[in-house]
Amino acid sequence: MNKIVLIAKREIAERFGNRFYRWLMVLGPLLVLGLVYLFLSRAESDKKHWNVLIMDKSNVFDTKLAITKPDNLSFSFINTFLDYEEFAYDDLYQKYDLAISINEKIVSNKHVIISYREYPPESIQRQLVYLVERRLEEIMVEEFTDLSVEKFREIKQSLTFNLKDTYDPKNELSTTASWVGFVFGSLIILFVFMFGMTILRSVAREKSNRIVEVLLSTVKPRELLAGKVLGVGFSAIFQFVVWTGIIALGLFLFRLTIFPDIFTGSFVADTFMETENGQEIINQNIFVDLVYRQIHYANMLVFFVLFFIGGYLFYGSFFAMIGASMGSESDGQQFVIPITLLIFGSILSGYYAIYNPGTLLNEWLSFIPFTSPMNMMIQLANGFSEGTAWKLFVALGVLFISALIMLFMAGRIYKNGLLRFNHRLRFRMLLNWTKK
Amino acid sequence: MIEVENIFKYFERKSILHDISFSLKEGEILGLLGPNGAGKTTLMRIINRIITQDKGHVLFDGNLFKEKHLEEIGYLPEERGLYQTMTVEKHMLYLARLRGLSNIDAKYQINHWLDKFDIQAWRTKRIEELSKGMAQKVQFICTVLHNPKILILDEPFSGFDPINIELIRKELLSLKEKGHSIIISTHNMNSVEEICDRVVLINKGEKLLEGNVQDLREQNKEDLYKISFQGNMLGFTNALWTGFEIVEKEAHGDDKYSVYLKMRNDNELNNLLATVIDHVKISDVETVLPSMEKVFVNTIQAQKTTSNE
Repeated sequence: MNKIVLIAKREIAERFGNRFYRWLMVLGPLLVLGLVYLFLSRAESDKKHWNVLIMDKSNVFDTKLAITKPDNLSFSFINTFLDYEEFAYDDLYQKYDLAISINEKIVSNKHVIISYREYPPESIQRQLVYLVERRLEEIMVEEFTDLSVEKFREIKQSLTFNLKDTYDPKNELSTTASWVGFVFGSLIILFVFMFGMTILRSVAREKSNRIVEVLLSTVKPRELLAGKVLGVGFSAIFQFVVWTGIIALGLFLFRLTIFPDIFTGSFVADTFMETENGQEIINQNIFVDLVYRQIHYANMLVFFVLFFIGGYLFYGSFFAMIGASMGSESDGQQFVIPITLLIFGSILSGYYAIYNPGTLLNEWLSFIPFTSPMNMMIQLANGFSEGTAWKLFVALGVLFISALIMLFMAGRIYKNGLLRFNHRLRFRMLLNWTKK
Repeated sequence: MIEVENIFKYFERKSILHDISFSLKEGEILGLLGPNGAGKTTLMRIINRIITQDKGHVLFDGNLFKEKHLEEIGYLPEERGLYQTMTVEKHMLYLARLRGLSNIDAKYQINHWLDKFDIQAWRTKRIEELSKGMAQKVQFICTVLHNPKILILDEPFSGFDPINIELIRKELLSLKEKGHSIIISTHNMNSVEEICDRVVLINKGEKLLEGNVQDLREQNKEDLYKISFQGNMLGFTNALWTGFEIVEKEAHGDDKYSVYLKMRNDNELNNLLATVIDHVKISDVETVLPSMEKVFVNTIQAQKTTSNE
């Protein structure tokens, strides 16, 4: 045991001495925070107040646009037409962010130009299009029909088809929650792949520089494997803890300083447009809701760590096997491809699980150790209905038992393959090495 | 100290070692000789429990060799490596701790050996900064750091310059004096003659010879004599006539020569001396023993001839 600890300590020291590892520890979470910041900034720009100038030379709109003025928009009408330069540089119009030109033949040519100083976000564009279209609709109904606007809209209204899951008619298991699980599952896969490759490179380096024979005269191959897997695993978990800490601190600071009113007004809650026919959703900021409200961090983190350990031991043993058995570095790279495909398959299975949650295939994928870390994180994010939580523990059990079997086999391959050099690695050779 | 008894090893049904037995005594240097591919490295790996034999066993002080005995062994493989990014001190400390030394003892030993080899300045250098010869020295120190009773060294002199070969040779003799036992596998036959007490010669996985270096040379001697004299070479040659065969001549200047010759027609050393004593001034006469290299080559060739027949 003492020797395993010594080997693990050396691996940890090597990781901490590695510049890439240290940079990744800081830059990784900063990158994640950067992405979160980008999304939140987008939400912030959605919240901005936009002054809109409507150039209606023929007074087609009769200085009216919406019955209820939206919070984030204000409209001013002028009955002249400004060219682009005038709007861009004339001091009189600098207070306006957007200009909508309503031409006199709009009823027939259906052409509207919106000029902007700063590109408006999707939601603002949608809002403006919606309001202009409805106003034009009113005008056309008045001019060309004897119907009331309400009646016209009732006739015009298209049918709404609603697709409901018979087991989840209220759509409680929303895909938003699934995506939270997907993010956690992807993090597991990312870390497993990154540190699995670290194991492979570490074993391959010891083989290629021939230190391995010196080590094997003192420790058993299984001790060497165990020390390496433990050391690299500890480095991975440490990296993850630092990531979690920095990301949590960053999110907390975001909420405290840069986005203090993150849960107010149009930021998170849906923005509704009051119309004659009721409410219509214009904008939804799912992302803020997802980051700050949907994730049950405590619950997710516990199982994240457990599935991470299981997944790391399971996939890590594959990487160790390849590292120990490769004759040359390029030779071993070929065997990395199937594992990379399996890992890619795991991510795909997560995608499948989000959109096909109730299928038999998805049930199986939840228990297969290759895909269970991803699938179970998605199911965990959605929550388990009563009496089905056992699935989580069965999947965890299957993963750990499979990991132990794989570690045992990796130990055999490790023992047989470590002192083989410059051979051509064949699958049959690997199978033979697992037998003795 | 170590007894290797009837070791057999097969790789994919091919015999690599066939019934190999020998023993290593306390305070002895044993040369494990053989051409490339003879099975020496496999044998050393078996003794170190890196791989397991298919038949036979290894004894340590009369008991079956077990894992705990590994701490009594210092193994220097032929293709040895070091962690390139570690410093000399950390590398030594790591290997010493793996071989059972406490942190304090390991640091004391590191200090002792760095002083002894006069390389204290390398302590904080990374391995990748060292030359090949410097790295070889570090590897040697890592092997002896835990003061093992037995050293197993595969080609310990390879990669060293003559000065460092002498340094390592002296160190090995000093360890022998202190009672350590050493197995050396080497192709350097000069060093075998100089430092080995006994040798075991294996080829194609079979043991061909075992014995004391001097005895083996004696057993393989070819009735060859070296006579050194001052005088006329032509006169010396004429005096020999057909009773002796000159194998080689060496001229040293000032009419001084050394001649290697074999007896013919049942002649003996006395006859030789009587024949030439009136013609030249004899300064030295000695029986020439074959070098270990000669013994090595002859034995391997004899095995080839036998197997061809």
